Amino acid sequence: MNFGYLIVVSDKETSNYARLAYALALSIKNTQREGYDKVALVINDKSRIESFTSTWVFDHVIEWDKETHWDGRSYMDELTPFDYTVCLDADMLFLRDYSHWVDYFVENCQLYVSNKSFTYRGEPVTNDYYRKCFTANELPNLYSFYTFFVKDSPFAKEFFKLQRAIMKNPIEFSNNFLEKYKPKVVGTDEAFAMAAKILDITDEIAYPLEFPRVVHLKGMIQNWPHPAETVSDHVGFYFDTKGKLKIGNYQQHDIVHYVEKDKVTLETINILEEIAWKKN
Amino acid sequence: MKKGIVMFAHNNRQIDYVKMAIISAKLAKKNLGVPVSLITDPSTVEWMRESNIFKVASEVFESIIITERPKDENTRVIFDGTEKVASPFKNANRNSVWDLTPYDRTLLIDTDYFVLSNNLNEYWNVDSDILIAESYNDIFGQERTGYLDRHVSETGIKMLWATTVMFTKNENTKVFFDLVEHIRQNYKQFADLFRFNSAIYRNDIAFSVARHIMYGYETDNDYSLPPVLSITDKDHLYDIDNDGNLVIMISPKLDGVYCAAKIGGNDLHVMNKQSILRNSEKLMGLA
Repeated sequence: MNFGYLIVVSDKETSNYARLAYALALSIKNTQREGYDKVALVINDKSRIESFTSTWVFDHVIEWDKETHWDGRSYMDELTPFDYTVCLDADMLFLRDYSHWVDYFVENCQLYVSNKSFTYRGEPVTNDYYRKCFTANELPNLYSFYTFFVKDSPFAKEFFKLQRAIMKNPIEFSNNFLEKYKPKVVGTDEAFAMAAKILDITDEIAYPLEFPRVVHLKGMIQNWPHPAETVSDHVGFYFDTKGKLKIGNYQQHDIVHYVEKDKVTLETINILEEIAWKKN
Repeated sequence: MKKGIVMFAHNNRQIDYVKMAIISAKLAKKNLGVPVSLITDPSTVEWMRESNIFKVASEVFESIIITERPKDENTRVIFDGTEKVASPFKNANRNSVWDLTPYDRTLLIDTDYFVLSNNLNEYWNVDSDILIAESYNDIFGQERTGYLDRHVSETGIKMLWATTVMFTKNENTKVFFDLVEHIRQNYKQFADLFRFNSAIYRNDIAFSVARHIMYGYETDNDYSLPPVLSITDKDHLYDIDNDGNLVIMISPKLDGVYCAAKIGGNDLHVMNKQSILRNSEKLMGLA
């Protein structure tokens, strides 16, 4: 089975997406079973990863600069070198083996998009503070941060083709489909949700499952009784030398989408590298 | 496996916990059909003899276990409807139940918890070493329940309610109760770690933290005892009617304005202790 994880980043002097992707790739190598640990990086400038010690964690490095920022993910179906792919956001960490999720998707799906997220306490996120557009316009609650697809699936192709059209024509689609609440920016999540709604395939690509489980660390959705700009203003991030992560009083076992880009420091990288070296 | 109920009662000048324990024990024996034992201290036993309730207590309780009176003392404001008084209370020795219980499987309940159904009998054979009430259930509804009734702190772990705890006496629960004691002894340190208010030692918090640690610092969906249906100390247990229902005066906004309600056949945590004692004779009659 030719399966792998795809990370698409557009890095520049003022960002550290390459480092975040490197940390994610290390964490994948450290936690996933053989055959489920391939990683492909799509990056605008290969030189951004030259300084990393263990670039072998990227099984494929694809230089591609046709889009910037997150727009590159719209081309995940065209960019992936794998037959079966899970496309991930770069600011995530793997903390245990999730290979069995992949087995399910490969066997049962041509395309599956995450439709829920969790707080650091393991509670389902119900607050729509960052998703007013979804609620007001009755969009399916899709998250592009973990998207499974089969490369040569016509079904998946049709979906990605439409969401690319949405990303290219945000005003036209907003005027037609986001009349009740227009977001400042039509991002990948909004484009995915609109595409699923227009094609009427939500029940096929985002039906209820117990997985994937992704902890989404945006401040206002942690079920706290007070507003919070960032999670780290209120609880600590504790990353130990075994690569285990505790947030506040909670040991994390699901994929953590940490959002705050400065949480992956050189020390974090060093720990992940050391674990990877010992494993391999 | 011998099963039974255990209660703690350490009297003070304001509250006659032993009298409450006798009422609670009689109701529990009647509705669950298991023996009840009391853990108390020498000065409370002395008072039981002076006030001529030792004989009644001896009949109600299968055993009266005398232990050292806890040295640490909490003082808290307790309400009796709109009246309030600062009252000391001794709650720092709950962890000793593991050593002191005469039972293999023990249901530990507070003396202000009235077992009026046989619901808890469903849990004796549950395959779980320790069960704690999963939440607080206000009789008027969740609108009177605050965030800190559900969590130990704003960012912290879920609050369990140690009003009802069931456990099997084994090595695993020994570790649990030792951990509760460790948390009690280092309460301020754990308050820093778990961000809770350390002003008053609360068994609910110590038990919640201990369970969270024992379960690997993560949310678990293991078995628990049912939510503790409660009336606050700003409500009143007003009367017991001829059908054995509890007549309650509920203050919806906790402001001294009341509405009346009746409840029967449901286990109930009556936090207004003075109102229990005012109705002690009628409550005794229920059992």
